[in-house]
Amino acid sequence: MLSTLKKYSFRKFRDSEIKNHELNYLFWECTTRCNLNCLHCGSDCSKDSLHNDMPVEDFLMAIDTIKKIPKNFTVVFTGGEPLLRKDIEYCGKELRKRGFRWSMVTNGHLYDKERHISLLNAGMGALTISLDGLIESHNWLRNNSHSFDKLMNAIELAASSSRLNFDIVTCVNQKNINELDKIRELLISKNVKAWRLFTIIPIGRAASNDNLLLTDDQFLELMEFINQHRKTKEIDIKFSCEGYVGRYESKVRDTSFFCRAGINIGSILIDGSISACPNIDRSFVQGNIYKDNFFKVWENKFHPFRNRIWTKTGKCELCDSYKDCNGNGFHNWHGEKKNVLVCHKEKIENSICKNVI
Amino acid sequence: MKKDWIRKAVGGLSLTSALFIFQACYGTPQDLAPDILIEGQVRSLSSGLPIQGIKVSVTDNMQYQMTDNEGKFSFYTEMLTGLTINFQDIDSLQNGHYMDKDTVLTNLSGNVYLDIALQEK
Repeated sequence: MLSTLKKYSFRKFRDSEIKNHELNYLFWECTTRCNLNCLHCGSDCSKDSLHNDMPVEDFLMAIDTIKKIPKNFTVVFTGGEPLLRKDIEYCGKELRKRGFRWSMVTNGHLYDKERHISLLNAGMGALTISLDGLIESHNWLRNNSHSFDKLMNAIELAASSSRLNFDIVTCVNQKNINELDKIRELLISKNVKAWRLFTIIPIGRAASNDNLLLTDDQFLELMEFINQHRKTKEIDIKFSCEGYVGRYESKVRDTSFFCRAGINIGSILIDGSISACPNIDRSFVQGNIYKDNFFKVWENKFHPFRNRIWTKTGKCELCDSYKDCNGNGFHNWHGEKKNVLVCHKEKIENSICKNVI
Repeated sequence: MKKDWIRKAVGGLSLTSALFIFQACYGTPQDLAPDILIEGQVRSLSSGLPIQGIKVSVTDNMQYQMTDNEGKFSFYTEMLTGLTINFQDIDSLQNGHYMDKDTVLTNLSGNVYLDIALQEK
């Protein structure tokens, strides 16, 4: 009874969020250059990007179309690797002058003490760093033998700041699934307070590497790991919002699954395209800052994001969880969009160890 | 305002916390912590001229910034009930030679502008 009421209320809440579609979270793909060449990269970034970095002034021009800043609004610098740009701090200060908060996702390779201080000085308030295993498995995925050591330095710096709202993300794969306990211990020893776990979806370079994708049993193992360790208080562990996880919904995250792409989350991509999360298929682009008013596009377009009935196809068509899942994470719709790329709930149900909880 | 109230009420009924403090799959946590912009200018007490190269730092915090050629500095830091800002001449005789100074800030509620005069050694 309570569970039914909770589900019903959450659906109503989700409907009202879609109707209001307040922009709370804006990614800026400020570069597609990267200093690493990760095996799982969803955006196929490389040292020599096809695109030039977007000038700060162009991004600010788009930002300035937002006349009233919504509550809890954050600009998230992403890439590529944002720290390859020397003007992140300048852009951050310009955002703060306008009343916007900002944060950054980084691989940590260039995050040294000097940069840590200059980013804090420029008003950075949140940070996410990727750690993908213990030394061997991390360096394997990151395709760089020095990545882990540099990352540990970055984590120690970030964890030392009481100002930063900071977390670690880990892409769980075949090489690190058995290391989760040790990674957890490592993070606790580094005073990390929050850890988000992902799986890798088969897009970009990951599409052609089976080592990166979890089997159904391994996915269930991951759910169990998170469920077990959420009950302890040393570190806040959660599953990312990448997909609907059926019976694990209330056990692995703070809130029920709700993909807010295009509802509360927007992006300005490297070529000026306006979309939602950067890993979403580029065919969903809604406009371009070089010819459209960014905020008008946000207010008046984004229809496929706000009405997802078109996702009721393929395995979603007859699924009895559709009302709660709504086609899973939007980034799971690529190519011809005839079927969802990954169904997390199905992975759990298909696992041999069905009756763990 | 009404829209926000309805949002909170309906969200609250679903008995989950953190409904409004979400993060995107591949994004960062949201930044909700209070901070403060501290800016100002450092001049020579005797000449009134700006001093370049003074280290402006926050006690018990690794943050610092050097003053520019107009003696100016500007940085964000964590909002605490009290902050001590240190001004140190660390470049020896280059740009003059000045005594250190500490400024204690209390009852902070908004951004701060500091006009600092340093005494020559």
